[in-house]
Amino acid sequence: MSVDLASPQLGAAGAPAWRRALTIAIRCVLVLLGLAIIVQAFIVVQARPQDLITGVHGMADIIRRAMPPAFAELPSTFWPAVQTVDIALFGTLVGIIIALPLALLAAANMTPSRFAYYAARAVIGFTRAVSDLVWALLFVTAVGLGPFPGGLALGVHSVGMLGRLFAETIEQMDMAPIHALELTGARRIQVFSHGIIPSILPSLLGITLYRLDENIRSSLVLGFVGAGGIGFQLLTAMNLFQYQEVSLLLILIFVIVLGAERISAALRERLS
Amino acid sequence: MLRVRGLSLRYPNGKLALSGFDLTVAAGEFVVVLGGNGSGKTTLLRCITRTVKPSAGEIWLGNTDLCALEGEKLRRARLALAMIWQHPSLVRRRCVLSNVASGALGRHFTLRTAFGGLPKSELEAARIHLAEVGLAELAEQRASTLSGGQAQRVAIARALAQQPQVLLADEPVASLDPEAADEIMRLLQRLASDERIAVVCVLHQVELAYAYADRVIGIRDGRMVFDLPPAQVSREAVHRLYLPEAA
Repeated sequence: MSVDLASPQLGAAGAPAWRRALTIAIRCVLVLLGLAIIVQAFIVVQARPQDLITGVHGMADIIRRAMPPAFAELPSTFWPAVQTVDIALFGTLVGIIIALPLALLAAANMTPSRFAYYAARAVIGFTRAVSDLVWALLFVTAVGLGPFPGGLALGVHSVGMLGRLFAETIEQMDMAPIHALELTGARRIQVFSHGIIPSILPSLLGITLYRLDENIRSSLVLGFVGAGGIGFQLLTAMNLFQYQEVSLLLILIFVIVLGAERISAALRERLS
Repeated sequence: MLRVRGLSLRYPNGKLALSGFDLTVAAGEFVVVLGGNGSGKTTLLRCITRTVKPSAGEIWLGNTDLCALEGEKLRRARLALAMIWQHPSLVRRRCVLSNVASGALGRHFTLRTAFGGLPKSELEAARIHLAEVGLAELAEQRASTLSGGQAQRVAIARALAQQPQVLLADEPVASLDPEAADEIMRLLQRLASDERIAVVCVLHQVELAYAYADRVIGIRDGRMVFDLPPAQVSREAVHRLYLPEAA
């Protein structure tokens, strides 16, 4: 059977002309819709590129006043820097302790019941959805200013982040060795410690190191809401127009973040 | 040692996977089960281990009916049943010795074994089991570095650590080359004759069944077709096991 390509009803590819026209029209509408979304975003944020040009003078003034960095203040930044790293460490540890059992309940291949699965998923989802900054505000209100609310905020938020990634790791695990251990008559806790943990430990450590790296970045910001650490000192220096101290703190933050990132990456590479 | 009486399994979708299956395997006997894909061979083993609960029938292990047990009693009774699979199912990041010794976990429930430790006596026994399967020199090696044949022998050593009375093997040589397959079959045969373990081995390799089995069982559509010494099993009877349903 042959197709009449000269037929006015069909295009070159054999599709009816009206359908091709409709496809083009739909594409045009989609492109216009995309452009409209981008334009409204510029309008809503009141983007004024000209202000960037007029603001250059102000920025240059701040940079001039921030130079040279106040290196004499370095000893006084030591303790807040330690606090910042410790807030991240504490938060990550709290996160692991709560996230690991939750992840076991939230992994489809391990959960003892559907109720436990959905309950664990709900806790993980909620703690992840609320940002660490909001958790810090809540904990500052609850337990007062200082590094403790910062650590708690990172801990709770890490439960969500670690819980989800741990659960995914457990779900992707090869179950054959686990079933083999179960059939030897090993108890649940023995299957967990002899089968599950050795199988997923490198992945869990990799995820944890990455989370610690993220938490160190976050703990710098948490100080802005009174949750201690170097962020709090940065906020104080900015409020007092101590720009030379601000520049010193920014250098310190850069060193801490970069150092944590490099150490975390190197350790993760060794694990993999 | 192992007696199966009237074993049936009907899946929730109505399909009859096993129908009135009878089987007796004495201590020291090496029985090979042959049958096409979906004939019910693996289902038979899964029922015997009680991984799935049969719809009807009895599974006697010595004087214990496994079908009558649940929970802790079933776990204890199952200690006498070891199983190996087509894939060795080792914990790849643990050393060979730990993998073997983990076969004994069911007999030791202490704080040490609950948190990843293994009893020293079982680690010593594991070395002996490794020597039995000819891999004593690989004890400290990580399981992920083993070849397919070596890993399967480690899985057998783990089964030995369990001190089983019955060893079930589900296509243990399916992914091995002929030489390694022969080694595994010789090993299973030796365990049956020397250690007096009742071995039930599901296979697709008919020649291996003829070469090593004390008895060959044919299974088709969940029913036993024959149960004979290899010398009495005709090639036609085996061929008929693998014919499509319409034939």
